[in-house]
Amino acid sequence: MNGVRWIVPVSLIMLLIVGDVFFVVNETQQVVITQFGRPVRSPITTAGLYFKIPFIQKVNVFEKRVLKWDGNPTQIPTRDKKYIWVDTTARWKIGDPLLFLMRVGSIQTAHSRLDGIIDSVVRDHVANNLLVELVRSEGWEEAGKSLLESGEMTDYAVATKAGESDEPLKLEKGREKITREMIATASPLLKELGIELLDILVKRINYIDTVQQKVFDRMISERKRIAAQYRSEGEGEKAIILGQMEKELAKIRSEAFMTAQKIRGQADAEATRIYAEAYGKDPDFFDFLRSLEVYKNFSNPQGSVVFSTKIEALKYLKGAKKAGE
Amino acid sequence: MVWEPRRPSKPGVPPEFEELFQRLRNLFGYRRSPIWVGIIVFAVIIVALNSYYIVNPQETAVVLRFGKFIRTADPGLHFKIPFGIEQVQKVVTGRVLQREYGYRTVEAGVRSRFTEKGYEEEARMLSGDLNVVDVQWTVQYKIADPVKYLFRVRDVEGTLDDISESVMRRMVGNRYADEVLTIGRAGIAENARKEIQAIMDHYETGIHIVSVKLQNVNPPEPVRAAFNEVNEARQEKERMINEAQKLYNENIPKARGEARQIITEAEGYATERVNRARGEADRFSEIFTAYQKAPDITRKRMYLESFEHLMNSAKSVFILDETQKNILPFLDLSRGTFIETPSKEPTEQHKTTAKP
Repeated sequence: MNGVRWIVPVSLIMLLIVGDVFFVVNETQQVVITQFGRPVRSPITTAGLYFKIPFIQKVNVFEKRVLKWDGNPTQIPTRDKKYIWVDTTARWKIGDPLLFLMRVGSIQTAHSRLDGIIDSVVRDHVANNLLVELVRSEGWEEAGKSLLESGEMTDYAVATKAGESDEPLKLEKGREKITREMIATASPLLKELGIELLDILVKRINYIDTVQQKVFDRMISERKRIAAQYRSEGEGEKAIILGQMEKELAKIRSEAFMTAQKIRGQADAEATRIYAEAYGKDPDFFDFLRSLEVYKNFSNPQGSVVFSTKIEALKYLKGAKKAGE
Repeated sequence: MVWEPRRPSKPGVPPEFEELFQRLRNLFGYRRSPIWVGIIVFAVIIVALNSYYIVNPQETAVVLRFGKFIRTADPGLHFKIPFGIEQVQKVVTGRVLQREYGYRTVEAGVRSRFTEKGYEEEARMLSGDLNVVDVQWTVQYKIADPVKYLFRVRDVEGTLDDISESVMRRMVGNRYADEVLTIGRAGIAENARKEIQAIMDHYETGIHIVSVKLQNVNPPEPVRAAFNEVNEARQEKERMINEAQKLYNENIPKARGEARQIITEAEGYATERVNRARGEADRFSEIFTAYQKAPDITRKRMYLESFEHLMNSAKSVFILDETQKNILPFLDLSRGTFIETPSKEPTEQHKTTAKP
């Protein structure tokens, strides 16, 4: 029964050895095997079950996935002396786990290295470029055109005049190019650390608070100017319409007057012609007849009539003899 | 043997099973140790419990064997090799998930409540003309490829946030503030969706961007009043134009009508004038024709008739000697007095006509 006593410790030791022989590499991991600190074999990057020499060989596990680096927002002056907050982010992965193991060791350390390198690269590039270059990107030239073509922005002309008086119209680099340059500068430095830099993104660019207030003030004044323009346009349009109205009124009225006068005049002329034609047959008789009309038209039951003794009627009253004399 | 007496009552049991029963009986019955039975039952239960997994309708399961991806499993009941040899990770693939930027939903519901406080920095961005715009947007996405989602990028959501913010800022930075605030919304959202998708694909995040939607796009708070003023001014302009149009519409048709009236009146006058003239002329002609037949007598008759009419239509008739002028002041002229003082010409004319 001696053997039975050993069964438990021996099996325990066996378990320990077996447990240290197998190791699992996950899909998200890559592994470097070191033997007494010295790397052996090439790094394992495919997931699965692997073997190693127990106790002697050590498994160093590293992340295989793409990792994210988030920079602290920093205040940087641009080339045109505009103070801005820049918040950058980057994506990286452990490109060479062996090198990474030697130079960096852990992801935490890697982040501090990335801080050092990327921060300074970003700082350099921001300081070397105009703010507009950092804000705008490829296709900027189209922006104004598309706005104009839409036809809805009537105040666009004003806005561009105000916004671009001191800004270059043409884009030299733009955000993409600048970030590509950043990557190009930082990549070789990080490659030395076994880190593969995939991108650097400028996440946020904003004015610092004091500048922002000034920008707001400018925006307000710009808006006020546009508002004033609208109002005055309104007044102008109104004046145009009212002027047009007055003009048309004058035209309509004067034309009506003219036509009316012409019609009346023609009628008067016609009447005159008719009268003349008729009365011209015997002007004397007309004279006589017209005078009688005056008598006939007199109608005033309260009135008095005063005659001179010389009027013709009296001749008849006095007698025919006188007339016959 | 507990079950031995029952044997005859189970005639349908196949011989193979009987053999198995016998073996089991031998195995356990031989030692008669309940501990072993307990251990084996327990082990069986453990194995059983570790051998299946349930995938819910909205999930997809990713199965790893020794850390290596083997297969995915759709919703339902599935089996796996227990004891950590096969591991299952479940990913919510069926749901449309959402990330919010520049604001957060505090309480979703029929009328959701949102908060913007504390997220101003996220919303605030520079436009291409160096104005400041506050943009709030949402990104809706689905996990299209659970394998990539799990194994290619660590912290996919965090990466999506970074990419989304960066892309949106690039979009806004490449446009005029006016465009962003007004007509650019749809274009920005669609372009942002495409670009975010492209970058997410490039990093093999396994995410499908369903939509990018702009929510509130506003000028920053301190500037908002001034922006509203522009809108008001725009309205005011419209109002002024409308007012002027109203005046125009009020006056012009009226004036046209009045003009027509003046002309029609003139036409009326003309017709009347000419007709009267014709009438009078005709009348004159008629009288004249008759008169010509017996001029003297007609003349006298007409004169006397008129005179008679005059006499009848006045209250009193005075006949004055021309030499006596003093009487005039006694006449009450206010009653309408007709003074006939034949002037030289007509009298002479009368004389000439009266005298044949």
